[in-house]
Amino acid sequence: MARKVTALGPARAAPVGGRPFSLAGLRRATWHGERIDWTAYLFVLPFFLPFLVVTLGAALFGFYVSFTDWGIIGAPHWIGVKNYVRAFTDPWVWKTWSNTLRYGLLVVPATTLAALAMALFVNLRWRGYTFARAAFYAPNVVSVTVIGLVWVWMLDTQFGLVNQYLGRFGVPDVPWLTNPKWVLYGIGMASVWWDAGFSMVVLLAGLQDIPHELRETAAIDGANRLQTLVHVILPLLRPALSLVVTLLIIGTLRVFSQIYIMTNGGPAGASASVIHYVYEIGFSKYQLGYAGAISVMLFVTILVLTVIQLRVFREKTF
Amino acid sequence: MRRGIASGTWILWVAGMAAAVAWALPLVWMVSTSVKPPGQVLTPTVEWLPRTVTIENYVKVMQKPVVHWLINSTIVTAASTAVSLTTGAMAGYALARLNFPGRNALFFLVLAVLIIPTEMTIVPLFIGVLKIGLVNSYLALMVPSLASAFSVYLFRNFFLSMPRELEDAAAIDGASRFRTFWTVALPVARPAVIAGGILLSTNYWNAFLWPLLVIFRDEMKTLPVGMAGFTPGTGVGQSTQLGGYAPAMAAMTILTLPSVLVFLFLQRQFIEGATSAGIKG
Repeated sequence: MARKVTALGPARAAPVGGRPFSLAGLRRATWHGERIDWTAYLFVLPFFLPFLVVTLGAALFGFYVSFTDWGIIGAPHWIGVKNYVRAFTDPWVWKTWSNTLRYGLLVVPATTLAALAMALFVNLRWRGYTFARAAFYAPNVVSVTVIGLVWVWMLDTQFGLVNQYLGRFGVPDVPWLTNPKWVLYGIGMASVWWDAGFSMVVLLAGLQDIPHELRETAAIDGANRLQTLVHVILPLLRPALSLVVTLLIIGTLRVFSQIYIMTNGGPAGASASVIHYVYEIGFSKYQLGYAGAISVMLFVTILVLTVIQLRVFREKTF
Repeated sequence: MRRGIASGTWILWVAGMAAAVAWALPLVWMVSTSVKPPGQVLTPTVEWLPRTVTIENYVKVMQKPVVHWLINSTIVTAASTAVSLTTGAMAGYALARLNFPGRNALFFLVLAVLIIPTEMTIVPLFIGVLKIGLVNSYLALMVPSLASAFSVYLFRNFFLSMPRELEDAAAIDGASRFRTFWTVALPVARPAVIAGGILLSTNYWNAFLWPLLVIFRDEMKTLPVGMAGFTPGTGVGQSTQLGGYAPAMAAMTILTLPSVLVFLFLQRQFIEGATSAGIKG
């Protein structure tokens, strides 16, 4: 970016005489030693103008709103950091953050392990692997409404499929979605089912980057399948694995739709996530300033995680 | 020795395939429930095959403005995907191929802005849409399509790896930049258009939070938000309680069918698209 724009190309006879910004001069202007394509700005404008408004512009506006007492009507009044002070003393903020983190502690490892097992199995390319891959990935293309409602039915305490089959092993009926102790497990199950396929695909791409010779060498050296997995495959899969984990962490921090559909945060707020609280505050009670402050706190958390992830992946991703 | 390996392989294969079948079971159960008469749904033992097959649940579902929702979803998904692909392809082409001051800065901006999660922008965007008076409109539903950096990414990478000779030939023929893009570059970029189109349209088709916020009128809802009203009991505020699980599963089957059919036909493109999305952002 330190390079300069030369407004004049290789000057011919310089007929424009001392006016460097004439049309002809612009046409011959160069950048990086090549002619500038002025049409490029027409190419990028339709994307960048709206893009910057709805991302950067909106984010800055949201930051401003978080320092105001804006409801839905009237003008916003600047109230300084009051919203943030309120957030730190609001027991619901603590509760929803704790719910979200506990949900993440369940879902991130479970999804990663499931996705890893799926990817390793599919990558063997044994008979039927295309069916397995399709079955594992299919929930990912389905609407979250379906995920939520199908699992409300699957997890029905008395008649749901899960409890019916657990009952055959003598497990008493588990109140998956109606008991505060179990509700995060219930929602977590639906989320793993929904998301594991996507992580599997990322891991599969990582597995396919591992040269076959390495595995063969390991096999010749007498390593069995498990040893090859632990000593050869997993270390090489680390970049893909940490990408999956970071994406999942960010994903669980912003969990909303499954919860909204399956329990609407209940029972007694036991499954309300941070975004669910933002939704309640902002879009049911229309306290947009306060909702904005809670979003900003979530944003900072996600930002920190993303920056860490970008540092780790810098050389690989870009 | 050899026998041992073979039986281990056998067990692993059976376990893997069993897991795959189990993964598909919730969808099978959904379809099975959707054709049962409501009286035969809550059974003391699991009944995979319905004793009687009925379409009454589907009839019940169709009493809601499902056709409206379907049309809304289709229009919004198609328009959003078209907008994202067009603007993304043009910007991606310029970033990969054209020489202009600010090119690197703009690309850097895309990367930087990608870090801003939608949650940060959802409150201000909602205020904006409300103040302009866009609520309950297709335009409001299309707002997220304006922020699709993914499409720019995809096309930039594709055009970077495209051989230059093709465009040079067009340039010699005296074609303008825009003509070259439209008649030479874009047709070659078909794989990117397909992969991006599939991924974006799946996302737009399934979008939930944003349509939930900006639509208040029942007949303007999209399919996923409208169908969420069939939740049978536990939660949702606007629950319609149309009589238990059977109609709910009929609604879910209607909602699932298009996505799964498209997925089964275009599996390879889906998985390639997801791979590039996962790895590149």
